[in-house]
Amino acid sequence: MDNDNAEHPSPTRPKWRKVAYGGMQPGFDDNHTGESFLEDMVMNANVVKRDMLKVMQDSVSISEYLCIVALVGLVWTYTLRSNLNETSLLYLDVSLLGSGFLVLLLTEEMLSLNLLLHYFLNISFFTTGLFVLAPIYQTLTRSISSDSISAVTVSLLVLHLFLHDYAGSTVRAPGALKNPTLTSFISLNASIVASVFMASRLPSRLHVFAIMLFSLQVFLFAPLVTYCIKKYSFRLHLCFSFSLMAVTLAFVYTLHGLLFVLLLGLLVFVTVVCPYCLIRLQEYKFEINGPWDEAKLCFDITD
Amino acid sequence: MGEPKRHRVLMVSDFFYPNFGGVENHIYYLSQCLLKLGHKVVVMTHAYGNRSGVRYMTGGLKVYYVPWKPFLMQNTLPTFYGTLPIIRTILIREKISLVHGHQAFSTLCHEALMHARTMGYKVVFTDHSLYGFADVGSIHMNKVLQFTLADVSQAICVSHTSKENTVLRSGLPPEKVFVIPNAVDTAMFKPATERPSGNEIVIVVISRLVYRKGADLLVEVIPEVCRIYPNVRFIVGGDGPKRVRLEEMREKHSLQDRVEMLGAVPHARVRSVLISGHIFLNSSLTEAFCIAILEAASCGLLTVSTRVGGVPEVLPDDMIVLAEPDPSDMVQAIKKAISILPKIDPQAMHNRMKKLYNWHDVAKRTEIVYDRALKCSNQSLLERLSRYLSCGAWAGKLFCLVMIIGFLLWRLLQLWQPAEDIEVVPDILLPHDEDREILHDFKSSNEEHSLR
Repeated sequence: MDNDNAEHPSPTRPKWRKVAYGGMQPGFDDNHTGESFLEDMVMNANVVKRDMLKVMQDSVSISEYLCIVALVGLVWTYTLRSNLNETSLLYLDVSLLGSGFLVLLLTEEMLSLNLLLHYFLNISFFTTGLFVLAPIYQTLTRSISSDSISAVTVSLLVLHLFLHDYAGSTVRAPGALKNPTLTSFISLNASIVASVFMASRLPSRLHVFAIMLFSLQVFLFAPLVTYCIKKYSFRLHLCFSFSLMAVTLAFVYTLHGLLFVLLLGLLVFVTVVCPYCLIRLQEYKFEINGPWDEAKLCFDITD
Repeated sequence: MGEPKRHRVLMVSDFFYPNFGGVENHIYYLSQCLLKLGHKVVVMTHAYGNRSGVRYMTGGLKVYYVPWKPFLMQNTLPTFYGTLPIIRTILIREKISLVHGHQAFSTLCHEALMHARTMGYKVVFTDHSLYGFADVGSIHMNKVLQFTLADVSQAICVSHTSKENTVLRSGLPPEKVFVIPNAVDTAMFKPATERPSGNEIVIVVISRLVYRKGADLLVEVIPEVCRIYPNVRFIVGGDGPKRVRLEEMREKHSLQDRVEMLGAVPHARVRSVLISGHIFLNSSLTEAFCIAILEAASCGLLTVSTRVGGVPEVLPDDMIVLAEPDPSDMVQAIKKAISILPKIDPQAMHNRMKKLYNWHDVAKRTEIVYDRALKCSNQSLLERLSRYLSCGAWAGKLFCLVMIIGFLLWRLLQLWQPAEDIEVVPDILLPHDEDREILHDFKSSNEEHSLR
């Protein structure tokens, strides 16, 4: 046993080396544990210390998006209850499109006639396509009961919220480095299917067209617009988010008391409780690194 | 000391011939050398294609190809208790005294070790690979390993880095873990009688072309080296998903005449590829030991490798040039290797390798571990259960449950098919005359198979 040897160190005995070659090292058993054992181990090397305020500020983007989806849900409900007619919906579409464009132009500073023309062409193609397809959407789920459709729509929206990429935007912002992930695409598709299902319960063709245009605008471009605002100025992002939250809460309050409480609870949970839990759990973080880790490549692999 | 004790060992792993790789090699050579030391060795693995049932290999090595089909990456489907009857029968039939499992991601190995412990056998486990602690796959793998190793008599790792890793992953006391490296059959990997002469320097790469083996590093390094040294040529052996990237690189930099892509190289042809070069390049991102480096060094090639895992322990510093896994550092290392190349004598290197690595030495060291394992005290089920219970709040209870059910099933089997009813295999002693040929037969019988 190496323990016996350690008690009588002789000057002639060769030192133990951390090598695998040369057979068994004289004077040492194969289960010898040298002093260098685990000395290359690094603990918690990459742990980021987070502070509460920063995490709360970051969580605002989640609350903001929750509110956006809640607003979409509100518009859907009002339309289904015929509180909103097709003309006002169309006005809403146009104003949303206009304001979204304005935000992009102001924050991105990429004003050029060519680009504007390009966007204009794309949008007109898109709207025409949607208009042509509207009758199909309208009769899509006629044979299915409204209850099933609303249940599926709600579950799709929940799926959408779960998988949504809150840090970036699925529609790639100009200059964004990372490609969107698979889950963010699934999330986007879930939201679009939800809009189609919802639109299919509406009475007229124009209704369907207007509501589809509205939903697609929001689900496709709202993340992009909020992302641009956030990149432009964080303060503006916070102001925008809080006003959006206030507006949403007010509208939901007029609609239903319990829903209001639920939404408020959700927002508090996301902005206060979750960050607090995260900070608390940070203490238990235990990361081990060492020579056994797979080496990371220091360059991007471009396939 | 008295008469040396004869062990009766069952080697278990999902990985064995006709598959090829480090683990397969290790089990084969270790078994052969243990047989020569007078022990009895039986190998158990799953069926490979229609290769099912009992086979004998060179030197009287008996192999059980258990008729379980592999379902993923040559692994059998984990069924926990499905293999209990057959393992019990084999253990009794062959009068096994010790079970030796290989490789952490072999499900058959884990099951066999679990059942062997239930039946009160002593078990030894050899870990051949490294695992991180961060990703989801590793976390689960580590838990399974903890379960298996909670009750193992002794464990063996192939390098000191691997030992550190295993100790951390399993919570095993370090003095229970032995470091016994792989070895290389130096008789099979001899340098060429004449080194390829001329002004040209040939750099050989033989590895599976996958991410973990650093194929992406090669894509960056090869054009740079070719640009600096007009007299350097590359030979790349191996196949894999990253081969396309290498071929793209070759076309992009018009290096078709300087980078030769051989595709998959059968193990028997590895030597002939190695001896056509001067420098061996290993670009792995993780490696517990790396037998390929040994084979290259045994053929008299100077090795350039990434400094990952157990690689720095494998060769003395004057036989290997290490670099960080970063293209520019690797180019620097190749530069250094080219500058010291004239001082390298392949024959002298081969002779040194003969002294440094030897499978017989590995077998003798493993024998010591077996002796130690047999000296471990027997434990009752309750004592063992308490050890499983300490594995984790939830996992511990789950492990205990698995063990208890295993124990009950074993008792049931004993009633159903008593051990006395199982016929014991007579021992056949083969004369050990052909000493070296054994290992050579192995080489020639595997012409059609290739892994690297």
